[in-house]
Amino acid sequence: MISNMIRFPSSLFDDLDEMFFNFPAGVSRVRRERGYPPINMGVTDRSVEIYVFLPGMKLEDIDVSLEKNLLSISGKREREEIEGEESTIYREERFKGSFKRVVTLPDDVDPEKTEAVYKDGVLHISVAKRSEAQPRKITIKA
Amino acid sequence: MSEQTNIQTTQQQMPAGAQSGDAMPLELSPAVDIIENKDGVTLLVDLPGVGKDSLDIDVDKNVLTIKGTINLHTDEKLNATYMDVHAGTFTRQFTLGSELDASAIDASLKDGLLKLVVPRSEQHKPKKIEIKAG
Repeated sequence: MISNMIRFPSSLFDDLDEMFFNFPAGVSRVRRERGYPPINMGVTDRSVEIYVFLPGMKLEDIDVSLEKNLLSISGKREREEIEGEESTIYREERFKGSFKRVVTLPDDVDPEKTEAVYKDGVLHISVAKRSEAQPRKITIKA
Repeated sequence: MSEQTNIQTTQQQMPAGAQSGDAMPLELSPAVDIIENKDGVTLLVDLPGVGKDSLDIDVDKNVLTIKGTINLHTDEKLNATYMDVHAGTFTRQFTLGSELDASAIDASLKDGLLKLVVPRSEQHKPKKIEIKAG
C-alpha cells in the first residue's frame, strides 16, 4: 500500500520493453555502435542507393557531399522544444548533437548524377553508376 | 502491487500478440524521449521511414502500443550491400499511470518523428491552493 502512495516519477510511464531484456522475440534496438545515423545501402544495375535514417530533421541541418566516391552525411540534430515550463526529461534515448558518417561508394559511380530526397525521416540518396559500368544489351547478329 | 500484476499480464500476452508461426520478423525498438510537465507527458519517438498510413497507435486499458512499418520504396532489384537497420518494423509498449488520461492522447507524425502528448487527467493536474488571509 505504501509503495503505491510513494511514487517514483517513472511509475507514471513504465517502459515495458525493459521487462523484455532477455525476451527472445527478436526485439532489438537500432544498432548504434556503427554511429549515427544508421544507414542501409544497396546497388542496382544502374545506381547505388543509400538510405539514411534521420527522423525529425530540418533540411537545412543536413549536409550531404560527394567527393569522388566518398559520400559524407553530416549535420546537427537539435533537441525538440516542448511547451510549458518546468518540464522534466526522464528518458532520453534519441540522438542529439553533431553527426557525420562517411560511406565509400563503388569506384564506378558518377558523382554528377546524384539525387537526394528526404521523406518520412529517411534521406534517400541515389548515385548513378557511370554509363560504361552499366550493363548493356548486346545484339546478336544473324 | 497491482502495477506489478498488470505488467506481468502484458508480458504473458506478448508472444501471442507477436504472431504465431516460427518465422518471427525481427522488430526494432525505437529510440524515445519522455518529457513530463504539469499538463502531462510528451513522448518523442524516432520512427524513420514510417508514414502515417503504416503507423498504429493503440491503448488497451493502460498499455500504449506503438507499431510502425518502415517503407523505403526500394527498387525490387536492389541488392543490399550494407545494413544498419535489419528489420522492417518498430514496436514499443508503455504502461500509462492512472494519473494520465489515455483517452485524450494527441498524436502527430512529421518526418518520421512521432510526438505523443498524453495529458494528465483533470483531477491529477496540480492545483494552486489559495491561502486566505486569517
